[in-house]
Amino acid sequence: MVRKLFLILAAAASALAINGAAWADFTVLVPSSSEGDGLRAAADDYSKMKGTKVEIVQAPYANVFEQGANAGATKSGVFDIILMDDPWIPFFAENGHLEDLTPYFKKAGLEGPDTDFLSKSLAICRNPYNTGPYVCLPYVGNAQMFFYDAAKYKEAGVDAPKTWDDVLKASQALTKDGGGRYFGYVFRGGQGNPVVADFMPIFWSYGADMFNADRTKVTIDTPEGAAAMKTFMALRDVSPKGIESYNANEVGTALAAGTAASSINWPNWVATFEDPSQSKMVGKISYSPIPAGTKAGSSEIGHWTMGIMSASKNKQEAFDFMLWATSPEQIKISAERGNPPVRTSVFTDPELTKQEKFRHYPVLMEAIQASTPRPRHPKWPEIENAFGIELSKVVAGTITPEEALKNSQAAVEEITGLK
Amino acid sequence: MLKPGKGIPAASLRLGGALEHWTERHLRYLMLAPTMLILLALTIFPSLYMFYAAVHKISPNPDLPWQFVGPGNFARLLTDAQFHAALRNTAVFTIVSVSVEFVLGLGLALLLDRFIRRLTFLKTVLMIPMMLPPIAVAITWKIIYEPQFGVLNEIMFRLGLPLQAWAGDVNLAMFSIIVADVWQWTPFIFLLMLAGLASLPVEPYEAAALDGASSWRQFWDLTLPFLKPVIAIALLLRVMDALRLFDLVFILTGGGPADRTKVLSLYIYQVAYRFADPGYAAAISLFVLFVTIVLSTWFMKRMRLAD
Amino acid sequence: MATTTLPTRSRTREWLIRLSAYLAILVALVFTLFPIYWIAANSFKFDIDIFAVPPEWLPRNPTLKHYDEAFIQRPFLRYALNSFLVAAGTTIVSVVFGTMAGYALARFSYPWQWRKQISFWILSTRMMPPIVSIIPLYLFFNYFDMLNTKSALIIAYTAFNLPFATWMMKSYFQDLPVELEEAAIVDGDTRWGAFLHVALPLARPGLAATAIFCLIISWNEFLLSLIITLTEQSQTLPIGIAGRVTQYKTYWGEISAAGFMACVPIVIFAFIVQKHLVRGLSLGAVKG
Repeated sequence: MVRKLFLILAAAASALAINGAAWADFTVLVPSSSEGDGLRAAADDYSKMKGTKVEIVQAPYANVFEQGANAGATKSGVFDIILMDDPWIPFFAENGHLEDLTPYFKKAGLEGPDTDFLSKSLAICRNPYNTGPYVCLPYVGNAQMFFYDAAKYKEAGVDAPKTWDDVLKASQALTKDGGGRYFGYVFRGGQGNPVVADFMPIFWSYGADMFNADRTKVTIDTPEGAAAMKTFMALRDVSPKGIESYNANEVGTALAAGTAASSINWPNWVATFEDPSQSKMVGKISYSPIPAGTKAGSSEIGHWTMGIMSASKNKQEAFDFMLWATSPEQIKISAERGNPPVRTSVFTDPELTKQEKFRHYPVLMEAIQASTPRPRHPKWPEIENAFGIELSKVVAGTITPEEALKNSQAAVEEITGLK
Repeated sequence: MLKPGKGIPAASLRLGGALEHWTERHLRYLMLAPTMLILLALTIFPSLYMFYAAVHKISPNPDLPWQFVGPGNFARLLTDAQFHAALRNTAVFTIVSVSVEFVLGLGLALLLDRFIRRLTFLKTVLMIPMMLPPIAVAITWKIIYEPQFGVLNEIMFRLGLPLQAWAGDVNLAMFSIIVADVWQWTPFIFLLMLAGLASLPVEPYEAAALDGASSWRQFWDLTLPFLKPVIAIALLLRVMDALRLFDLVFILTGGGPADRTKVLSLYIYQVAYRFADPGYAAAISLFVLFVTIVLSTWFMKRMRLAD
Repeated sequence: MATTTLPTRSRTREWLIRLSAYLAILVALVFTLFPIYWIAANSFKFDIDIFAVPPEWLPRNPTLKHYDEAFIQRPFLRYALNSFLVAAGTTIVSVVFGTMAGYALARFSYPWQWRKQISFWILSTRMMPPIVSIIPLYLFFNYFDMLNTKSALIIAYTAFNLPFATWMMKSYFQDLPVELEEAAIVDGDTRWGAFLHVALPLARPGLAATAIFCLIISWNEFLLSLIITLTEQSQTLPIGIAGRVTQYKTYWGEISAAGFMACVPIVIFAFIVQKHLVRGLSLGAVKG
């Protein structure tokens, strides 16, 4: 019995010999999610068309940053292009992991990316923000939108929520009537990235920001910050128990299952809300830009952008592919595959906007144009973690809102060395 | 392997004889060598790297030199609130989950051993959880704990108990992680205890029964002492694994809420990769390694396991 | 073994004890099986039914959609094959070398009484948190151009399976009577021959138990695979599963389908070798 077992195992292990290393002209790191799937499909088209072999390397979303940082720090060149979430750009750029794209544009006879790209989409691709050289190109155009059940909101006496006060008014009424099983508002309260992502738009809507304009002072513990925190706490009080562990998925599910009336979320959920096998709310969810506080509402931008690793040995090939993949035709195909575009021409393409599944495009474009990027700092992951801990504590009620602002201010000062 | 086989000509047999003689003389070293070499190769480099990294500030920029900071990274351990939270959480998790797993595993093994010994099938069924990928286990429990749709709250509701946020509740989050871990790893202790019970000698029990000792006395005076080495091994292995808990927390809570479930592995992972500070991560790792080795050496001495 | 006789006080009491014991075992069974049933049930539900309130105890509207998504549209079969090859390779390396080392440590003496020290050192290598060795291992595999290969995973997994295998086998051999091997040597067999022909066959249950543990651990490992592997050439099942937790959505259905299928081979395997599992441990490791 044991001998047989070992024979089987040995046979299996010998199959290892067929470990054929795939030969490729260049390699792209993507997250294993809809952006990654989209770029993979585009890479297949490119291979067929140009006879160039593009290899796609993928990591779970939670690990893409780590893969990129590892490869960058060890100059390993295991991949040439990285598809990045935009808040990581300063980290990769300022630690010398990303290639400056200027010479490549020049070689192609271009000044830089064309003006059909949304200006906010291009701004994040430059480091420093909006002024420095291009270090990447935008590929997927995400920005948060406000999702709400218009019928329920109407019941609660709010027609179209324009401000956070409207949202609060409707949510308080709805949660009160919900008897603990239906809620007016729901948000991502999970420690770290989730809670920060859903707090920032409120923060900005009250005129607060993490740093002053020239990044020389931390400005969390300010009157504006306190106003935002007050609304955030009021929203927490109308949200379900347990949001302390919620991420985008739980928030989206609550809306799709019809157990919550409104939330901030990413546009990818539009398709899910309209799919009867995944949603009870088909045709019932409305979208709007982020509500206003004391200032105009601003959503958080969450683009996926492509950059070339400094350690790459196939930079020109990589650049050619990036230019091709972000061309108007390709961005349109990418949109059809389910990833929001980054170009005005695609956002306003009547062939798309007349389709039901793209009916959120005008709102999304407006949201992107009114968006704010997460603070551009190379230590953003660490800042986000520290801020996320304090926000998680205040959501869980273990510290007061004042303490949260004070602690966050101190923690971010400590990390950035700005005192 | 080294034995001359059928198809070998006589001449080389003699040579083979010399070889065999040499092999025979050094067998004690030859048999140990592959393991020693593999483990040396796989641990020496990481250890040296760790010691070296722990006294440096390492920039994520590969073009910048490492900056020597001496004990600076270790000094940070004293004031780092996140590290202290992680340390406390890891200690709570390890102590509670391993004790509960031990009591349940031993209890279940005793019950099965005494009441339904012949049902091997049943025993194997009870062992299934430890064979599942921890990542799948974590995700399954996440669905069960889900506060709005989860099955656990449905059961609470039916029983008329207050609904809970489980992994999303500051006070229940660690408890939820422990329950999932107990679910997965009690079977491991159970298996080792069954094996231990299966190898108990019969005579002492017969003698004890003749003396009229109660089952309880027999358990304390015979079973437990006989099982001591098994128990020691089981606890040692479980504690070593509990100290490196990662998957469950990574999926279920991400360390929250309010840092109540941040454990050391997760924190090291964040420091090393998210915050790109491998020097500090190495310092924390060395601390963990030091604690693990001190604890297990003490434990093994006490339990006389080294031999 | 512990055939303890019950104190003969009253039949009712004995009966009550028996009943509560069965009840306790039943509770344990339900607690053990329910989450597994729940993965299985969810894997056959449409997404909307996974989050039905109240929950659907049985899939009311069963579908194979998620199996199609995971195994036809996504390369989960490939991930499973990778997991299998890596687990098999690790198990062979660990068990073969671990058995030899375990035997040596159980039977031979070493100069300066180093046996104890070596045994302890081998075990202590398992204490190194895997998180610690990842950066150096990454550098190491990068240097040898082995990132994203199954061989790299096998090497990395061997680092923590080999100490375990050595210890299990060492305790097993320590419990085997040495006289049989001595008799074989008196009959003209070599020391190596005695190991191969006498000790090894006797140690079969121990080998089986050790192999099962190595298989389980490497089949399920997550952290190292997360860092070392990059494409479906080498990515393992746990990585495939984690990949379905995306930034926006968690694909519960696919995860349940893949998670459920991930346990099937290991559970079947466990039933095949169940006899060896308890026996292999009862003589060996558990004695310390």
